[in-house]
Amino acid sequence: MNFSRLDWTVLVFTLLLIIVYGVYRSRTSKNLEGYLLSDRQMPWWLVLLSIMGTQASAITFLTAPGQAYSDGMRFVQYYFGLPFAMVVVCITFVPIFHRLKVFTAYEFLEQRFDAKTRFLTSFLFLLSRGLSTGISIVAPSMALHFMLGWDFTVTNLIMGGLLIIYTVSGGAKAVAYTQQLQVIIIYAAMFLAAWWAIKMLPAGIGFTEALHIGGKSGKLNVITSGFTEKGFDWKDRYNIWSGIIGGFFLALSYFGTDQSQVGRYLTARSEQESKIGLLMNGLVKVPLQFCILLIGVLVFAFYQFNKAPAYFNLAHEKTMQQSANAGEFAAASQHYQQVQDEKSKTVTALGNALQQHDEAAVNQLRSQLQQEQQQAGLVRDSIKNIVKKTIPGSDGNDTNYIFLRFVGDYLPKGLVGLIIAIIFLASWSSIAAAFHSLASCTMVDFHKRLSKTPATPLQEYRWSQAYSLIWGLFCIVVAQFGYNLGNSLIEAVNILGSWFYGTILGIFLVAIYIKRVGGHAVFIGALMAEVTVIAVYSFDLLSFLWLNVIGAVGVVVFSGLLQVVFFGQSPKVKQKPAFEK
Amino acid sequence: MLPVKKEQIPVFRKWRYWYLLVIGFLLLLIVLFYFFTKYFA
Repeated sequence: MNFSRLDWTVLVFTLLLIIVYGVYRSRTSKNLEGYLLSDRQMPWWLVLLSIMGTQASAITFLTAPGQAYSDGMRFVQYYFGLPFAMVVVCITFVPIFHRLKVFTAYEFLEQRFDAKTRFLTSFLFLLSRGLSTGISIVAPSMALHFMLGWDFTVTNLIMGGLLIIYTVSGGAKAVAYTQQLQVIIIYAAMFLAAWWAIKMLPAGIGFTEALHIGGKSGKLNVITSGFTEKGFDWKDRYNIWSGIIGGFFLALSYFGTDQSQVGRYLTARSEQESKIGLLMNGLVKVPLQFCILLIGVLVFAFYQFNKAPAYFNLAHEKTMQQSANAGEFAAASQHYQQVQDEKSKTVTALGNALQQHDEAAVNQLRSQLQQEQQQAGLVRDSIKNIVKKTIPGSDGNDTNYIFLRFVGDYLPKGLVGLIIAIIFLASWSSIAAAFHSLASCTMVDFHKRLSKTPATPLQEYRWSQAYSLIWGLFCIVVAQFGYNLGNSLIEAVNILGSWFYGTILGIFLVAIYIKRVGGHAVFIGALMAEVTVIAVYSFDLLSFLWLNVIGAVGVVVFSGLLQVVFFGQSPKVKQKPAFEK
Repeated sequence: MLPVKKEQIPVFRKWRYWYLLVIGFLLLLIVLFYFFTKYFA
């Protein structure tokens, strides 16, 4: 890929701007409250941008358009549970955390249950967040590897290394202030890329026609019911029901119990500011995600008039051309081009029919396009299978590369640099918050809790920095192993989260709503629920979003039963706990 | 003893209205997305 001097200038300037701004705004008290919670002085709009920046990683911007390109826009339904979750978090979790003035969400569990429940929950968080942060580093490292042609290990070390320097030195205040600038630049650049995709469409084909082309090819499937002729498909990943119910549990767990998010809104200067930040996130998240996915549909429409690669991973394409199966790969690619040429003719005719409002022709061309789209899909699947059997460790999926290939092949000089810059910025904003939360939990829930000798504020500050460094190194190692994860990275991270989030949420739900359940019952109940979640996933019984529901309901049911059967009616709360008004 | 200062809720008088706004907006989006899907298909 050609990375011009202008691209380098834009990239370096944007990154320097963020670093200088971060350092300028990072002056804070050198103690635990200053380093981990910015002295609890943040206004609501900074909390909002920080929450958004933490949730939207580079994966969101890199692979979501690719997801829409291959599977349509139905992925947006995954976010339908989020606004409901924001309301519940504001009613239940925020008041408790603010009243107790906790550093981590898990401190509350020791006050409600006991130390072992706090350790277990914090450990589950560290495990899931540590692994998923490692996978999150793969996306930007992969993008650099793809765009600049550097070895993945080198790009992984650069990306992870820069992040470590940034997070270890910065603290929560640097994370929040830089996230503010990062989120603004990221969304501006993505909309610029979308505008450019529309601008490059042929004469007579505008935004509306592009939407019609996407819609008639089945890419604008924003709302899907999940029902087939055989009834409800429980393995269907994204539909309105799994989105609202499964997505609600996932979002509730993420925003209510995941320290990387709890740590963001605990920096607010008051309970009110935390709530407004969260509720505003509930208002803007779905429309913004819709817009990001729409970019994938615009890229799809663009490729109906321009030569689309049969396979989007350029590095694998080159490997295939020199492999033993090069002939088979070339034949399949040629077949794909023939199907694409046919499709281009149909799409052009469809564009004309739409302009002339010729309903009969539109209907006929729509059916034809859908058949050709199906055929193109089958040919692409066969190409993926050839790649899978040829390249060890690859599953042949190229969803993660679709948007990047478009950027590299078609966007003008300067804009390519800006898109690479947003990959850095989005990574920094979410991964920095994750490193920070991992360090917070290790420091507060384990080190400080188990330490027998009290440390000075400066020592605690230094230890927190050290833990940020250790977790950073751990994540770089995970990223190195995560490189060959073929599935869409955004799905990999969400699946991983679903293994643990339900159980963690269940523990909190019992803590808040079922006062008769004690520490022993919830501890064993949580372990049983986690085993159930892993079993359901291993036997592929349900789509992953339902794992959140199973984990949460599992903890509630198991711990309730254990309490009644083995631990009796105790511990009925004898006096009002500190977290209650 | 000084009375505890109660912070003002921005825009609305009660948090309940904020919650209704967030949920209502989501429902509106779902309806719009439904017609969007139908129209362009």
